[in-house]
Amino acid sequence: MLELKNILFRTPESDAGAQSPAGRTIIHDLSFTFESGGFYAITGPNGSGKTTLAKLIMGINELTSGKIIFNGSDISNLPIHERSMAGIVYGFQHPARFKGTTFRDLLSVATGSDDEEKLVEIISRVGICSLDFLDKPVDSKLSGGEIKKIELATVIARNPKVAIYDEPDTGIDLWTIGPMVELLRREQKENKTTTIVVSHNKSFLEAADTLLLIRDGKIAYSGNLAGAVPILEDLSVCTFNELCQGEANAQCYR
Amino acid sequence: MLNAIDKQVLKEVADLEGIPKGAYNIRKNGKLLGREVSASINIETNEKGDGIIIDIKPGTVNESVHIPVILSRAGLHDTVYNTFIVGEGSDVTIIAGCGIHCGGKESEGHSGIHEFQIRAGAKVRYVEKHIAIGDGTGRRILNPTTKVFMAENSQVEMELTQLGGVDEARRYNEAVIGPGAVLIVTERVMTEKDQRAESKNEIELAGTDSKANIVSRSVIKDDSSQDFYVNLTAKAKCYGHIECDAIIMGNGINQTVPALRALHPDAEMTHEASIGKIANDQLMKLMTLGLDYDAAVNRIIQGFLR
Repeated sequence: MLELKNILFRTPESDAGAQSPAGRTIIHDLSFTFESGGFYAITGPNGSGKTTLAKLIMGINELTSGKIIFNGSDISNLPIHERSMAGIVYGFQHPARFKGTTFRDLLSVATGSDDEEKLVEIISRVGICSLDFLDKPVDSKLSGGEIKKIELATVIARNPKVAIYDEPDTGIDLWTIGPMVELLRREQKENKTTTIVVSHNKSFLEAADTLLLIRDGKIAYSGNLAGAVPILEDLSVCTFNELCQGEANAQCYR
Repeated sequence: MLNAIDKQVLKEVADLEGIPKGAYNIRKNGKLLGREVSASINIETNEKGDGIIIDIKPGTVNESVHIPVILSRAGLHDTVYNTFIVGEGSDVTIIAGCGIHCGGKESEGHSGIHEFQIRAGAKVRYVEKHIAIGDGTGRRILNPTTKVFMAENSQVEMELTQLGGVDEARRYNEAVIGPGAVLIVTERVMTEKDQRAESKNEIELAGTDSKANIVSRSVIKDDSSQDFYVNLTAKAKCYGHIECDAIIMGNGINQTVPALRALHPDAEMTHEASIGKIANDQLMKLMTLGLDYDAAVNRIIQGFLR
């Protein structure tokens, strides 16, 4: 359904001196097929390439080589909005904050409609009870939790065939993660949404049918959670032992 | 009588489909086109004959007064001095603004000076929109001035908007805010082509517990330029905030100069300012929701200037 064929991503030369050194390969010749209606969790250590992989699917990052086939069509060269029109939508880890643009505006763009009833239906579907929320500007005054709920709602509002969520639990309190997992599960079941969640959170890893463990830009493991546990435990071993002298040491690099 | 151009200008400036209800004064090409007063709002020409005095009786609530200006004669540069006296405890909306229709080669301009005497406890919403339309090549010039004097516990909310069409604009806003009084100014300016806009603001927080919030939103397209200056001076225990954001598109240039001057030890003042292109993460977000690049830019600008 969504097929990644030998995809490779190297940071462009022009990015030298920005966040990462130029010419660094982030995703190495990675191949995987996401089946329609599945729930996938992508996990792995920091810097392993999880977010880059998710952004390559959405078209936010451009492939260096390889192909992405979606429902039989090659979408490797499609711009972001055309991938969105084809049914792929992305929820950002750190959602954009606007000036003046409201939640209602974003939902209108997402649904292509100003119809109040339709918008209300969506916000109740994602569990936002207050109607006042609709006319809130999506700006820096929103809390981390509020903006993540808005982000989730805008993705769901598009009724995507493939929904990609990059760390949806960032900024969300412990008590909200359960209902959030349930919501994504419900969307997957009721609307057959292929759901891809980038996360370190156990709740999402447990909810997924298939887990993809990414390490150094490659798939180190794919399968159920039980099979991944030994590798995950191995990864959780601190590799900075020589530098880090336990909890008291503020310079812990993990 | 309103002709087709007058109607178009009135629609754009004051959102009017025709002659407004309630009190109004419509000025066209330097002359009075129509006036109506109400039981609580009187309008008369001032002694010098260079403007009008709008006198709002104390306790007038839920009333509005429209004072639009239409300019459609090439070569005319109109100056007017209007005074508003807003009585104690009243709550009114004033819709002002000027629309230029330029059909020729000669420049046209309007300089409107509006002085407000806001009495104790009065509440005013002042909406001023400037537009310029027409196929003529003459420069369209608008130089508005507002002077606001606020008595204790009064509130003034000013919405000042100029979205394209005006070639040259020099704005000057001055306000003296009394005890417990609140001033909120929101200025939205969009310039394009080779247009120039300048806004200078001198705001004085004079009374104890006075408050001011000055917001400026600028969009600078093509080769245009905008400069925004604000001096917020505190002379009492007060609260003041300035927020100015400019989005540059094309080769536009901008100077934003917010200044805070605390001349009282209990003054609390903050400001935030930003100049830059449209943020990439905002564009990305809207594109993942199905908008192409241009549509995403339009949406962001629309929200920003709302």
